[in-house]
Amino acid sequence: MYNTEVRGPLVLGNKTLTQITTDITSPVYARPKFWWVVGLGISSILMLLGFWSIYVTISQGIGTWGVNNTVGWGWAIINFVWWIGIGHAGTAFSIFLLILRQEWRSSINRAAEAMTVVAVGCAAIFPALHMGRIWDFFFIFPYPNTRGPLWVNYNSPLFWDFIAISAYLLISASFWFLGMIPDFATIRDNTTSKVKKAVYGFFAMGWRGSVGEWKRYEGLSYILGGIAAVLVVSVHSIVSTDFAVSVEPGWHTTIFPPYFVVGAIFSGFGMVMTLMIILRRIYKLEDYVTDSHLDKVAKILIFVSLIMGTAYVTEIFLAWYSGNEYEIFTFFHNRITGEFTKQFWIMFVCNAIIPQLMWFKKIRSNLLIVFIISILINVGMWFERFNIVITSLSKDYLPSAWASYSPTFVEIAMYLGTVGIFGFGVLLFMKYIPMIAIHEVKDVNRYQLKKK
Amino acid sequence: MDSEYLLGVFGDEESMLSAFRKMKEQDIEIEDVFTPYPVHEILEKHGRKSRITIVGWFYGFFATIGVLAFLIYTAVIDWPLNYGGKPSNAFPSFIVITIILTIFSITILSLFTFSWRANLWPSLEKPIYHVGATDDKFVILLKKEKADIVRATSLMKETGAIEVLEK
Repeated sequence: MYNTEVRGPLVLGNKTLTQITTDITSPVYARPKFWWVVGLGISSILMLLGFWSIYVTISQGIGTWGVNNTVGWGWAIINFVWWIGIGHAGTAFSIFLLILRQEWRSSINRAAEAMTVVAVGCAAIFPALHMGRIWDFFFIFPYPNTRGPLWVNYNSPLFWDFIAISAYLLISASFWFLGMIPDFATIRDNTTSKVKKAVYGFFAMGWRGSVGEWKRYEGLSYILGGIAAVLVVSVHSIVSTDFAVSVEPGWHTTIFPPYFVVGAIFSGFGMVMTLMIILRRIYKLEDYVTDSHLDKVAKILIFVSLIMGTAYVTEIFLAWYSGNEYEIFTFFHNRITGEFTKQFWIMFVCNAIIPQLMWFKKIRSNLLIVFIISILINVGMWFERFNIVITSLSKDYLPSAWASYSPTFVEIAMYLGTVGIFGFGVLLFMKYIPMIAIHEVKDVNRYQLKKK
Repeated sequence: MDSEYLLGVFGDEESMLSAFRKMKEQDIEIEDVFTPYPVHEILEKHGRKSRITIVGWFYGFFATIGVLAFLIYTAVIDWPLNYGGKPSNAFPSFIVITIILTIFSITILSLFTFSWRANLWPSLEKPIYHVGATDDKFVILLKKEKADIVRATSLMKETGAIEVLEK
């Protein structure tokens, strides 16, 4: 069925089924390590900082942010788009590759999906607070009300955004959970602790691996996979229409949806790379997440980076070719040169140029360099969103309304808070959930055994 | 009769499959097979059918109609509002919402269908016949009333079962 000869073995070390189970589930049984507790402590402190800033924002208002001028979106929207982008990895990874029957996904998809769920959760905080009056949040639901009835404006991308992100969060979480059911059952049947048996047994929902269960499980995986593949493309396209439907210079372009989707996949894969390099090192999972797995992710990053570069150049070219003075001003005098030069060039170099170094096999197989590149990609992607949001808003058509922008401490604290939430979620995942889909790896492993 | 079932426990997929094939040839009725990962030959030949993909399609079909009808009812019929002179029946805008909410409905409904049909529900106390079936054992389950126990036992031992249990 799956011919992996071209690719070499996906799981190294001729593992038996029991070995796979013990290798992957051992962190669940082991006592938490010192670094883990420290990490949890640091992310809790960051989280508390975030909660404080949320409290300030809600009790005092958006005026505590630096957006009390024409730059109405500020860090909140930069970070929202950034987190959503990172949150594309899970779906892109597990679902695109599931549909394409790419078996090498098996070792990475669980962690990528975990990242997705946490990152989308982090992202959702920003637009919710950016509404200003979060207690009127329910106004966005189309429900029969006493104010008219006034239904919501279905023409508004902001409403599309709301449903797209809630649907995305729910679907990626349920896809993630579905994949974990058989693995929870494995822990339930192997553990000696009564508490673990009860808790994992609860979430395993009585899974036994019977014919009827596997059959429906596979059916449901492909349904969810098939429809969620649409979401990978649609969520970030919709986020981009938040920008592209407005008439700000630099935003009003048709390239935005594909440009955003590619950017999202780029940052998502970058984050997967960062995380997998750490995970395999700490938990000694080198036999499952092999060098060849990371090599494949690196190759995808090279390709996506080329698309990013093309998109940047296309935007610049079209700004010049259109002859529109506002577009030319935004791109040539406000990004490439001008007040935001630094941010533009950080974006360009980190996203379009540095990843191209990975064409060289030597660089691609040096994991330290790859690790640094993968972090630089996410730095670059953050600056891309900075460029889009801040440069266009700070200097648009009316020079008398021009403003500069710098974030306040509350905004920075909120960003650090979401970093804390992300770290906290990922650490909990590393300890309490099998990091690699056990049953999928067993499935992949057996094709190799058969060939022998 | 205390024990109702006969369990053949196998240590690898191949020997379990050969026992499975022989039982199919000899018309021994197999109640169920428990495996640590999906074994496609068994999923296809065991005879249990799943219509979840077809059901999923129908959920999508009705969700699309439902969402579009809702949008048109609220925005065009019930309370049309003038947003900058755009038509109330802004069909292109509705497409986006319809796609997303269709996906949303399919997910929710087929998850519940899965939970119902595969009989999976939090903290459900189902009999676990062999704990190894989620780790490294392949277990064939026979119902004593329905199958020829003597023949099945010897057949499973021949094909390499680690143990044959009564439960």
